[in-house]
Amino acid sequence: MTKTVFRYFFDFVEGQEKWLNQMAEKGYRLKACGQVWYTFESCQPNEYEYAVEFAADKSYKRSKDYKDFLESMEYRTFYKGINLNFSYGKVKWRPWAKGMGQIAVSPGGFNKELLIAEKQKNGEPFELHTDLKDMLSGYYTLRKVYLWSTAQALALAVMIFLLDFHSWLAAFPIVLAFLWSGPIIRYSKTIGKLKHQGEIYE
Amino acid sequence: MISIRDNIKGGALTETTFLILLAAYRPNHGYGIMQFIEKETKGRVLLGAGTLYGAINTLLNKKWIAPIEGMNDGNKKEYLITELGKQTVEGELERMRELLNLALNISGGENND
Repeated sequence: MTKTVFRYFFDFVEGQEKWLNQMAEKGYRLKACGQVWYTFESCQPNEYEYAVEFAADKSYKRSKDYKDFLESMEYRTFYKGINLNFSYGKVKWRPWAKGMGQIAVSPGGFNKELLIAEKQKNGEPFELHTDLKDMLSGYYTLRKVYLWSTAQALALAVMIFLLDFHSWLAAFPIVLAFLWSGPIIRYSKTIGKLKHQGEIYE
Repeated sequence: MISIRDNIKGGALTETTFLILLAAYRPNHGYGIMQFIEKETKGRVLLGAGTLYGAINTLLNKKWIAPIEGMNDGNKKEYLITELGKQTVEGELERMRELLNLALNISGGENND
């Protein structure tokens, strides 16, 4: 039995991961996903668990290599987009990425910013990153994504005001910026905590 | 034997790095390395696949491990420690022995009071 759900996540890593795990607890296993939809098939409740990873700071070649590596670890993997890019035709500029990852060219790294990994529940927590420096690097990147998106939204709001064009429209990007600020604050707190821990532990 | 160190902080390897190097004394793929570490540390160190991926690539770049050509079990690439990697492990062992002796002298001394 399959079930399709439409959902968009502002909190695309933790929020999405939490939801996928809640679905898995109820007995729904992810079968496929697209921009804003997810298809699930029935399974035993609590049989699977999910981790969501932001992979778009890597170039497409590297991210594909990472996906293959995860599959060799016997995880099932899915690509998912986050719809937060500047794009012109078939080229997307991702200012928050590293090196060659900054340019995403269709079909390549388009709409493949996230990797969803699935493993069978076996009592051990599902964490893709367990090393402090590794985790810090990941959180810095995620925070950068949200910071850029928020800056983009605020710039848009300012432009709308300056152009004196239906100023009420500026409410939309301002609301977006507000919604994105939640993750920014949360990631900043986590980064602070990890840095503090890193002063003593590895 | 003097190890080649390009680390300014006194050359300590992270536990993750050290354990992966040890796991690579025999040809091993990512999954095998993860299992080796879990087994040998009796479950104390559970490496995340993402962390392992990053670490393997770093070790490949540093040429402390090398991929084994043509021995791939399906999609599982295999790796083996290099001579340089072994030198690094030996250097680390030296550092750990020094620390161990120091700690035993200091804490052992207090127990004798």
